Amino acid sequence: MQGLSSVGSQLVDLCSALLLLTCFAIVAQRRLSACVDLFALQSSFLVVTAALVAYLTGNPHIYIAAGLTGIIKVLIIPRVLKKVIDHLNVKRELVMHVNVPTGLLICGGLVMLAFFIAQPILPLGSLLTRDSLAIALAIVLIGLFTMIARQKAVSQLVGFLVLENGLFLGATAATYGMPLVVELGVFFDVLIATLIAGIYTNRLQDAFDSVDTDRLTVLKE
Amino acid sequence: MTIAVVVLLIAPLLAGGLSLVVHRSAWLHGINLTSIGALVTAETVLTHMVLSDGPVLALGELVYLDALSTFILFIIGVVGLACSFYMRSYMDEQVARGVIAPSQLNQFFFLFHMFLLAMVIATIANSVGIQWVAIEATTLATTFLIAFWKRRESLEAGWKYLILCSVGISLALFGVVLLYYSSLHVLSDASQGLNVTALLPVADRLNPQVLKLAFIFILVGYGTKVGLVPMHSWLPDAYTEAPAPVVAMLAGVLEVVAAYAILRVRVIVDHAVPFAFAGELLTLLGFASLVTAAFFILIQHNYKRLFAYSSIEHMGVAMIGFGIGGPLGTFGGLFHLMNHALAKSMAFFAAGNIHRRFHTVEIEHVQGLAMAQPWTATALLISGLALSALPPFAAFPSEVQILTALASQGVPGMEFAGTSGMVTVALSDQFSRVALASVFLIAAVLSFGGLLYRITGMVWGTPSEGIVRGERWTLGHLPIILLTIALIGFSMFLPQPIKKLLEQATSILVIQ
Repeated sequence: MQGLSSVGSQLVDLCSALLLLTCFAIVAQRRLSACVDLFALQSSFLVVTAALVAYLTGNPHIYIAAGLTGIIKVLIIPRVLKKVIDHLNVKRELVMHVNVPTGLLICGGLVMLAFFIAQPILPLGSLLTRDSLAIALAIVLIGLFTMIARQKAVSQLVGFLVLENGLFLGATAATYGMPLVVELGVFFDVLIATLIAGIYTNRLQDAFDSVDTDRLTVLKE
Repeated sequence: MTIAVVVLLIAPLLAGGLSLVVHRSAWLHGINLTSIGALVTAETVLTHMVLSDGPVLALGELVYLDALSTFILFIIGVVGLACSFYMRSYMDEQVARGVIAPSQLNQFFFLFHMFLLAMVIATIANSVGIQWVAIEATTLATTFLIAFWKRRESLEAGWKYLILCSVGISLALFGVVLLYYSSLHVLSDASQGLNVTALLPVADRLNPQVLKLAFIFILVGYGTKVGLVPMHSWLPDAYTEAPAPVVAMLAGVLEVVAAYAILRVRVIVDHAVPFAFAGELLTLLGFASLVTAAFFILIQHNYKRLFAYSSIEHMGVAMIGFGIGGPLGTFGGLFHLMNHALAKSMAFFAAGNIHRRFHTVEIEHVQGLAMAQPWTATALLISGLALSALPPFAAFPSEVQILTALASQGVPGMEFAGTSGMVTVALSDQFSRVALASVFLIAAVLSFGGLLYRITGMVWGTPSEGIVRGERWTLGHLPIILLTIALIGFSMFLPQPIKKLLEQATSILVIQ
């Protein structure tokens, strides 16, 4: 049993680390559709992590959450985003507020910050998933950073979804999933939010002939 | 009891569904008014029950109603009812003028009911997690209401609102996860781990480190929805672009619900962490909002943005009240939330009327309102005076209560600033209280001056050529009169049930 849980803990850590790694790949990627693919990849890592946690802790309701992640974040949302991108006239992020190397450095700093913030509260967690909370926080921060650093509405949306993945990892790994009603509600909200944002992207494209959120400057003081 | 709770949930749900299939505008408004009426009735019954028998648990502990949540429901009911009356004339005119197609009215009412439903759920949910889901749902329901006119500006405002609030709310979810994390070690039944009723009894055994982190995330997250500086940048845009009844709901109710979500968690945190921690954070954000908003009110040229910044200011004032805490500060804060909701919805009704007549949001281009629209001019003046917290309006006593609490108690934790000997402590404490009270007063006076200067500029003078003079009586004027009566009445005499609700809600929030 001891051996199993230490191997399990290593595996969960490995999967969480892979999630973090895909975050860096997303930050470094300029092509919009590749960003979406990377997000789908990250979500599938999330499914594996959740399934692992479910198996190792014997909490069947985490399987449901893992399955829903698979359906919504690996299958539905990437498809919706791809459709949105097809409708756009620009496929690449041309101008970034922060260039790629600097962005990666900042993300490295954010990971350190996340571990620094989470350090005092980590010992409270169970052995299995101790480091995942810090990793989850790091993913949340990188998602936030992506939203600030990118201009295209679609990349901002990907940043938001990455942020959500971080939250879900935190909820699964640190607390073995929240009560099922809450999890379901969160999934519902994320799905609707993505659909709405997709509709917006189309409307912005039609109204401004661009999805550069930099063009959204009609309203200011 | 359960019936009343079910009505609370079913009425907006059913009305939302019906709004999609009914096509006559009169029917749509009828359904809306019936549903709001049912909501208010259920709310009255529940208030009565909570006041006589104490907190109510219903639907298998999913719903928890105490004096605090009932008070918030009361605000939702009153402002919702006022908006429904106002919408009757407002929306029909938009259809008649061809701004929107009649079919869009269905969409409008559907989203409006979903918005109401989400706010009701956020208020009565026992679980902090479900509350989060409902508050995110309010963002999703309102973003298309804000972008309803589909102009470029409104699309921009809607997008900004969706992204900023979703991100803010996601941070709040991380706070909720942390709260759950802290409860796992203490509660045996994990499925109860987010319920307020389960958390409160064991709150003093929760891990303080985790709770501190959770509170910071939740404050920043829900603070975005309240519109606290520095997370406020979506708010003036959204308030300018959205249809007037929607803004009245956003400013009057949504801000209150988001503030309520912060307060719910705050009570739990206060049990485990010294009171000063949350108090200082709330006061800090409150002052940032108050001062920033006062400055922007002074330089404003757009009357809708003027009221938007005034919202930020008043939410800041209420947060200062909650931050200082104690019976006086908390009571003042809650009372101020209600007064602001009433006055601000009235201000936006007036703003909507002005915009329909003058077709501009620029203050300079609006003149002679007293001649063009005497009713609206009166409403604008009254709401302006009420928002400046002048007597005899109810915001005056609430703001004075908060100021008194600030001057007499000071910010919690501030007295520990200087620890080198008794003299320094006494001096620095007194100094900080006087300094903060002066900042509060100066900001209040600045915004008072700015607000009234702009408003009087719009009311007096002669309207320019081509502006129709005179105002026909519509159903939309009814809420303006009722709100005026409430605003003046509440400052002199607070009805017994409301007073009791406020007192009990205060005692829930203040930890002895």
